[in-house]
Amino acid sequence: MDFPHLLALVRRGDELAWEAFVRQFQSRVFGLAYHYTAQAEDARDLTQDVFVRIYQNLALVPDAEGCLPWIIRITRNACIDHLRRRKARPPLWDLPADEMFDLRSSDQNPEEAHLEAVRKGMVHRALQELTDLNREIILLKEIQGLSLEEIAAILEVPVGTVKSRSNRARLELAQKLSAAGLCSADVGG
Amino acid sequence: MNDFHENPNPHIAPPLGPEAALDLTRSILARTSGSPCQRLQDLACAFVDGELEADQSTLVRAHLDHCDACAALVKTLTQTQAVLPNLVELDPGPWFTQRVLRATVHLPPRPAFDLGRAWKQLMHRPRIALEAAYLGAAASLMGVYLPLPLPHLAAKVPALVQPLTQPLGASAQRIAGQVVQAEQRTTASLEAFPLRPRNARSLWQRLSARFKTKIQSFRKAEPRAPKNSAEGKKAPPANP
Repeated sequence: MDFPHLLALVRRGDELAWEAFVRQFQSRVFGLAYHYTAQAEDARDLTQDVFVRIYQNLALVPDAEGCLPWIIRITRNACIDHLRRRKARPPLWDLPADEMFDLRSSDQNPEEAHLEAVRKGMVHRALQELTDLNREIILLKEIQGLSLEEIAAILEVPVGTVKSRSNRARLELAQKLSAAGLCSADVGG
Repeated sequence: MNDFHENPNPHIAPPLGPEAALDLTRSILARTSGSPCQRLQDLACAFVDGELEADQSTLVRAHLDHCDACAALVKTLTQTQAVLPNLVELDPGPWFTQRVLRATVHLPPRPAFDLGRAWKQLMHRPRIALEAAYLGAAASLMGVYLPLPLPHLAAKVPALVQPLTQPLGASAQRIAGQVVQAEQRTTASLEAFPLRPRNARSLWQRLSARFKTKIQSFRKAEPRAPKNSAEGKKAPPANP
């Protein structure tokens, strides 16, 4: 079923269409929230909040290709609000960073799957060490695959800033991964 | 015996070993243009993305053959580019969809524009109190210092009220008459004690005039004697 037809059914109140809509976007929204918060339970709560907001504002959901950037934008806003609240009222105890336990694994053999999980975990941890703007640009451009114009609109910065920052962010991430030994992960696991 | 003495032809320099050639290149670059690694970092992303022209790609490859640090950086960049797109989706768990459906099953969809929600969002803005105070202060200043149009309005009010009094009943006529009398009293009091004449100077004009007067009075005062001169120190200050 094409997306405009699915969205029309969701707007008419079809529960099955809404379930299909949730299943279509939940992994993406959860992935983005998890990279922002680094806490699986927080990311689940935020993902649920995002879908509640989408359900309450179905009239505002863009019809065609603008839907994904719109969902990413409200997910990002929800994550930023959550991080601000957490910064203002930090938890009473240190929360350990979760390991990436629920990766979408492909049909690899166990050794390759393990290596892939190690690489993803290293990249996720290195992402948390980047500056906020660099991390967001990596998340939105390299991971979510948004265009420079869409990222500039979401971050409210000029397109040239996104372009120049993108290369710098990739280099910073690569340097952190080199220091963490990403290349040695291929050999030693 | 070193290579120099084993060289059969003393007029031809012996070939450099790879490490010696690398050291020589580094020392020459250090004395001339500096390290090219910074230039490679500028081009590394475009090289990995395949966006460089053929000539530049050849130069980058030639540098990578001789620089282990840059080669490791480019290798990590390539691997990172391969891993990052795989991070786009993470599985939130088997029961997550049911959790979202339970949370949304009883929620009615909202209309496209909700005045109450818009008002609530406006009130939740962190700077709303500051903005309201700023607007209130600006409106107060404008009300105090701009020329008031009340005499003109007061002159027009009886003409506006007069036609309305004709078809109304006795009580309405009485109220209209009271309004007319009140407006006449207001007009008379304004004429007797005007709030602010139209040709009055504004606050800024009054302040600047006072400031100019002060400056002129300072200029008219006699100048002080120079500090460094011995005569100036001995001479008593001028008594204005």
